[in-house]
Amino acid sequence: MTRVLGERWALPSLDAHTRDFFTAGVLALQQCLRCHHVQHPPDDVCEACGSFELGRFVSAGNGRVESAAVVTQAVHPLLADRVPYAIVLVSVADAPGILIAGNVVGRDPETVAIGDRVRVVFEETRDPRTGDVLRIPQWQVVA
Amino acid sequence: MHGSAAVAGIGESTYYKRGASPYTEFQVACIAIRGAVANAGLELADVDGLVSFMDQRNIPVRLARALGLRQLRWTGIPWGGGGNNMAAAMQIADAAVTAGYARHVVVFRALAQGQFGRFGQAGGSAGAGAAMAGPQAWNGTYGILTAAHQCALHTARFMHDHGISQEALCEIALACYANAQRNPRALRCGQPLTREAYHASRWVVKPFHVYDCCPENDGAAAAVVTTLERARDLRHRPATIVAAACGIGPQYGAFDRATLGSAHYRQVGIHLWEQAGCGPQDVDVAQFYENFTGPVLMALCEMGFASPDGVEEFVSRGRLIGPEATFPFNTSGGNLGEAYIHGFEMINEAVRQIRGDSTCQVEHVERALVVAGPGYAPGSAVLFGAAA
Repeated sequence: MTRVLGERWALPSLDAHTRDFFTAGVLALQQCLRCHHVQHPPDDVCEACGSFELGRFVSAGNGRVESAAVVTQAVHPLLADRVPYAIVLVSVADAPGILIAGNVVGRDPETVAIGDRVRVVFEETRDPRTGDVLRIPQWQVVA
Repeated sequence: MHGSAAVAGIGESTYYKRGASPYTEFQVACIAIRGAVANAGLELADVDGLVSFMDQRNIPVRLARALGLRQLRWTGIPWGGGGNNMAAAMQIADAAVTAGYARHVVVFRALAQGQFGRFGQAGGSAGAGAAMAGPQAWNGTYGILTAAHQCALHTARFMHDHGISQEALCEIALACYANAQRNPRALRCGQPLTREAYHASRWVVKPFHVYDCCPENDGAAAAVVTTLERARDLRHRPATIVAAACGIGPQYGAFDRATLGSAHYRQVGIHLWEQAGCGPQDVDVAQFYENFTGPVLMALCEMGFASPDGVEEFVSRGRLIGPEATFPFNTSGGNLGEAYIHGFEMINEAVRQIRGDSTCQVEHVERALVVAGPGYAPGSAVLFGAAA
């Protein structure tokens, strides 16, 4: 899938916290191994119980748009031909309490609304600097 | 110990459009600090503390040399964010003089964006082909790049949940522009805004028109904080720091469902009124930092002035405009109308209201509130009072 913001738009830097989310090809979230709390973005410590033992939770990726806005003014030259684009915050059914930022693919950005049901999809791209294959979670409105 | 510190002097540079300052950022900082010290009737040699906020580049050791400060005994900067910590800087100064660590602390903010580039622009690692590192990965990858984008997401949810229309945002902009017409320092003085012009203006990120977004400006503002006892001996009526509060939580930095559609001021409101021993109904005039109009509506609610379902009515029909407003608000024009000195111009305006020499002077001001930048944790607020 081509990227909503264009093939040249900046890619996430992969580190201990971001690598799984942006490469797994499934909606990989961080889960505490002790209390099973899911938190996002990931961190070194569980926000619920303080544990340092953290693992992975794979969400089914069924979500709801909790907020949406439409960016109309490009704040970077690489986005000049990408506006307007919708920015959204999505909650997922199997990990309530977290919000995941993203874009909505294949849809007029003006029609994206709070309450829309969405499903995770992935933009696959290769980072030309590192060779890493990224699979960036994005959202598609479901009927 | 609340109420034992006061602002004794205020100063500022001329305010300029972004990039238009003929002075360097360090020079405008010195202009504002010298002005505040002179306004208090003090000498620079009396200053023994410096406090700022955000990523202030004009560091105390350099200022001490340039200003001829003889003994710097206290420096501080509150952690995190941007203009949301503006009032927390006053809290640090209050703590210093109340505890006796310093006697005359200058709190200031200076910026010259022609020299250093823009705060509100996507910069740094958002450059072409560069990677989104650290916290930027989660938002910047998706083109959520500026404070406007983040605040738009909070505002959209707030509007959705409480049936708030675009007119409520418009009212905040109209009030700031109207009050700026009375203030010769204001960059928008002479440029009144109409409702029609607001709605006809371009969008930046829906729901924000360009008039919902504060401009970026050059300049500096400063205030001298000392003990109330000392302030009484100085030139002006002291503006007592009745209470100051800052608050984090429950989450910092990331979006989360518990704080979506909020300005991060719930804790600040609780802490401030507890410490002040009074409530919103006791405020005579208020300055609310408008990074964007939408978060001001949320902050008004979280500080206890309106309910979310009633805030549109609270701000409409000119209720915020002029010295005789139902709710006197951003009387200098605020960030939108006067100048965007990361909100510090609002500290000076609140002090003017206590002294009685604002260009939009409210009658019989006993308490003047300043609420710092909304939308980011930690938020902060400071309540000034007329000394008994």
